[in-house]
Parts: sequence; C-alpha cells; structure tokens
Amino acid sequence: MPELKTMEYLKKIYKKRVNELQELRNNGVKVIGTFCIFVPDELIFAAGADRTILCGGKNETIPLAEQYLPRNICPLIKSSLGSIVNDGCSGIDSCAHFGLVDMIIAENTCDGKKKMYEILDDFIPTYVIDLPQRPDTDIALQYFLQELESLKTELELFTGNEITSTKLLDRIKESNEIRKLLHQLYCERKRDPSPISGVDVLKIMQKQFFLSPTEFKHILKMVIEEIEHIQPEQESNTKPRVMIAGCPLSGGNTKVPKIIEERGGVIVCEESCTGTRSFWDLVDEDENKDPMLSLSQRYINIPCSCMSPNKKRLESVVDLAQEFNVDGVIYYTLQFCHGYNIEAYNVQKELKKAGIPMLSIETDYSDSDIEQLGVRIDAFLEMIS
Amino acid sequence: MITVGIDSGSSTTKAVLLEDSKQLAYTIIPTEFDFVKASEKAYFDVISQSDVQEGDIGHVYSTGYGRKNIGLAERSISEITAHALGTSYLFPEIKGIIDIGGQDNKVISVEHGKVLDFLMNDKCAAGTGKFLEYTARALNIDINDLGDLWFMSKEPALITSMCTVFAESEVISLRTQGILKEDIAAGLIKSIANKVAIMAKRINLHNSHGPIAFVGGVAKNRGIHAALEQEISTTLLVPPEPQITGALGAALYES
Repeated sequence: MPELKTMEYLKKIYKKRVNELQELRNNGVKVIGTFCIFVPDELIFAAGADRTILCGGKNETIPLAEQYLPRNICPLIKSSLGSIVNDGCSGIDSCAHFGLVDMIIAENTCDGKKKMYEILDDFIPTYVIDLPQRPDTDIALQYFLQELESLKTELELFTGNEITSTKLLDRIKESNEIRKLLHQLYCERKRDPSPISGVDVLKIMQKQFFLSPTEFKHILKMVIEEIEHIQPEQESNTKPRVMIAGCPLSGGNTKVPKIIEERGGVIVCEESCTGTRSFWDLVDEDENKDPMLSLSQRYINIPCSCMSPNKKRLESVVDLAQEFNVDGVIYYTLQFCHGYNIEAYNVQKELKKAGIPMLSIETDYSDSDIEQLGVRIDAFLEMIS
Repeated sequence: MITVGIDSGSSTTKAVLLEDSKQLAYTIIPTEFDFVKASEKAYFDVISQSDVQEGDIGHVYSTGYGRKNIGLAERSISEITAHALGTSYLFPEIKGIIDIGGQDNKVISVEHGKVLDFLMNDKCAAGTGKFLEYTARALNIDINDLGDLWFMSKEPALITSMCTVFAESEVISLRTQGILKEDIAAGLIKSIANKVAIMAKRINLHNSHGPIAFVGGVAKNRGIHAALEQEISTTLLVPPEPQITGALGAALYES
C-alpha cells in the first residue's frame, strides 16, 4: 500500500496541537483531561473548554507509575499515571500534553482506573462521573442522567460559562458529524481488498480525542478523499481480513496491529474504544427533546466490558465481524484487564456459533513477547487463509 | 522431489529429509547460541546421512522459534501448522495434538492435517520442558530419570506453584520436610500434566472424537506421558521420534 499523504500530515500534528493547547490556556480557556469515551466531550466543548485524552500507550513511563501503583495492574493505567507524574528528572520522555490540563474528568469504569483516579487527584483535580453497571434499565438511565447533570454543573462552575441547550445541541451536531465521517471511513474498509491499513486507521483513531474537532474532521475528510480513489492491487486480495476486538489501543501503542499486518493480515475493523465503540451510535439531534437526555441515552449504551450483563457487546462483535466480512477475529486483552479478559470466553462462544475463528491474545506494552505473539498470529493467519 | 524441513527450536534444532514424502533421514542437535549455525549443521547432517546431493534438494522450509532467520529456507511456517502437518502424516486419524517443547507448549485441534483451533502457553515457563529441567535440578536428579520416579510414587506430593522459580523453592521446602524423592517428582509431573490438560480442555480436545497425539521433546518422558493420559482420561499416541514432527511438517509443506 502506498504511503498516504494524510499519514504524513498526521506526523506533524502533535506539536501543533500542544502549542494550540498552550495558547488556549494562555488566553484563559480551560483544558480538560479525559481517559474514556464515556465522558461526553459535547459537554466540555459546550462549556467553552477544550479537552485532550490522557490514556497512555507508552511503556517508558510505567516504572514511574510503579512508585504509586502495584506492579500487577493494567499497563494502560500505569502508563497514564506515569506520564502525569513524570517530572522530567528521570530522563524519561512522556507526551507534553499530559502536563497541560487544568482538570481531569474521569469515570468509574474498571476497578483499576477507579482507584488510580483517587491517587491522581493528588496531582491534578480529578472529577469522577459514576456509571451504572447494568445499563439497560430505566433507573440506570435516570441515574446516569443525574450524573451528567452534576458534571454539567461542575463544568459551569469551573469554566464560569453556562451550558445552554442551544450550545449543547450545536456541539452534539458537531460530534455527530465526526461520527458520520468515521462511518464513511470504516465503510471504505468494507471493500475487498481494503484501501487502507489497520495501523494507519489506528493512528488516526488515536488522535480522535486528542485533537480539536475541527482538526480531526479535516483529517477524516482528507483521508476519505485520498482512499476513495485507491484501487489496491488485486494480489493483496489474498490477505486474510482480520478484526481486532477488545481493549483500547492508546496513543503510542501499535504493537499487536503492526505484528498482524507485518505478517500478512489486514485489519479491517476494530471493535474497541479506539475503534467502533467510540463512534458507532449517534446522539439524537431532536430539538424537542432535552439534549442532556439524548446524551445520556447514547453514552450509557457504549458496550464496554465494565457493564454486566453485556449482551450488547457480544451481539455487536458478531455483527461487526459479519458486516466487515472478516476471516477471523483477534481478541486483544491488556494484561490484568479482567473485564475484557474474562469476556473473551463468551465472545468466543458467540463467534463460534457464527462460524468465525478467534485468537485470544493477552499482552502488555513491553516488547518482550513480540516473537511469542508472532508465532500465534502467524499460525492464526495460516489457519484462516 | 526431495524436501528438507528444519525446526529451529529454543533448545534443539531438528531436520528431516524426505523423498516423495518418504523419510530418508532426520537429526536432532542442540541449538546452543547460534540458531543459524545449528540449522546449517542439521541441514548438512541429513544430507550426508542420505544418499543425495545438495543440488537435488527441491525445497527447504523452516519452522520453530528461529524460523525467520534460516537463510537456507525459501519460506517459513508456524510451529502450529508444522506440527499439525507432521503429526497428521504419521497418524492420519488424529483430532488433537499436544506438544510440549523446551520453551512452550501447545494444544492443537486438527482435522485431516488442517488446524481448526489452537492454544499456546503464555509468556511463562509453567508446564514446559524448562519447568522440568529446573525442578529436576532442585531434586538433584537427571531430567531423564524424572519420569521413572512417577511410577515409583505411591503418594504424589502436592505442588501448588505454577511458577518455575517458586516451584523450585517449593521442592526444596518439601525436601526439608522429609518427603520422598519419588513423591516430589511425581508431584511435579502431576502439576505439569494438569496445566497442559487444562489447556487441552479449553479447546475441547477431550471431547474430540478421535485419537490425540503427544509430541515434542517432553513426550519422550514416560512419566509425563502416563500422567497426562490420566489427566485427560484418554490414551495418547506418541510417534517413535516425537521430537521431529515439526521438522517433518515443514518438509511436507508445499506452497
């Protein structure tokens, strides 16, 4: 596949965004840090603030976090905290935007993150929204709506700006525009052969909550226009089509997708927070409805493994695998991510019923298991070709 | 057509030479430090053993941990595919394969040589040849004698640690309690057999309607063979030379 101009453009975007955030702060705009797609950024933007995602995907900052956290927890949590507590004295690089936030809005998803946030509050003021874990009841929706109302009040106090229904609806429309563009991008990947590699799409997805909506939209339009006209060589048609399902692949972490594509597979879909989970459902734009309710309805439905029972996710994995016509699913779990790890069993069961092979992988951010993963992935690709 | 398969493993390097799918020669040598050197040595070993010229060799395929570095090979295949091909060639009816090697173990569900599902151990050495090597050392016996102790034990000791390093200290602590050598050895064997049996059950091998083969270097260990049969309640087929099924599969591979 030829190198896309969009990917060239993306390489320069990091510095630009960091300067932009710095500038915004100099002009009195609040910058909010987030960790999860359950936090509706429509609310943050409607309060006149900006946001940037702080999920760590780098191995280097993990030892820094181990001063505060146990060794045996998920690398995403450790890497994230490590990047924030990094004072630069240790000579370890972490991304500059981690030091740029005025406040953090976090969420009660898994136990590890929940408890990490309690420590994080010592470093940066951290506001946590609670999530009901059985999302399909009326009472859960009411509760979540209340949580978002409290968040709204908090944001208004913090920024000094009122969040009006009009402002919120405008931001909902803008976020929906991004979601629709992402659907368009993913639709291109349904072509056989896919005109874009999974690693490229992942690098774009990792910027979704890092960049401003305007910039991200610009990138999506650029890449869609670029790949629409690509007619990949027919020979790549023999490459097995793979879907990744499971944990998020945060910025800086492309380890497993790279192994899959270097060894001859092509990733055509990610059922992940850095994939379909972040954009699949739109927020209702009905002007006669309370936009806060529309937000709650959309966000509470995200099929994260912290929910139980999680039938919606099981169905969505099978649906996506069929919709994107994949030859197999690689189930990706980060070490010690109990939710996704345990759910692998039920996902496998459902995929088996649908006749779709699945390989389960558990890994961390280190390079030590690249060869071992390679053997499994080679064997899986040989099995499904 | 003459083909050579090279299995570049973490402990040993294996090569098999075939002429029209008939085995003419095989070799098993220690890998030592240099994977490439070992693969070349194994390659020339099988050539000199059989009456063929290097120029007569049609294809060379590699598999195993070092498979990507074997310059002699025109392409490489994964160990899973190789074991499935090699073992199904020896036992055409098999539905499952259990392979315990020096560094990893795998369970494979197969049908006519085609892989249906598989599982490999994670990063850790639990349940592998390395586990036996370390713990035999803590028992102060030769690894080859470890298996025989299985048959002498009346009451296998309970080894609770899966971790190779901690199991070693557990063995030492059992020794200080005066537990019999054969009971400790049997306990170790039981723990490795149990770990592998759980993997096999995860891919439903115990319910596959057909024979299961046991291959890899550890399959030569009679004690483990017997313990594993007990754990999954079925007879396991072991080829006369269980260490070369990967190399055999590579030699049989046709692109």
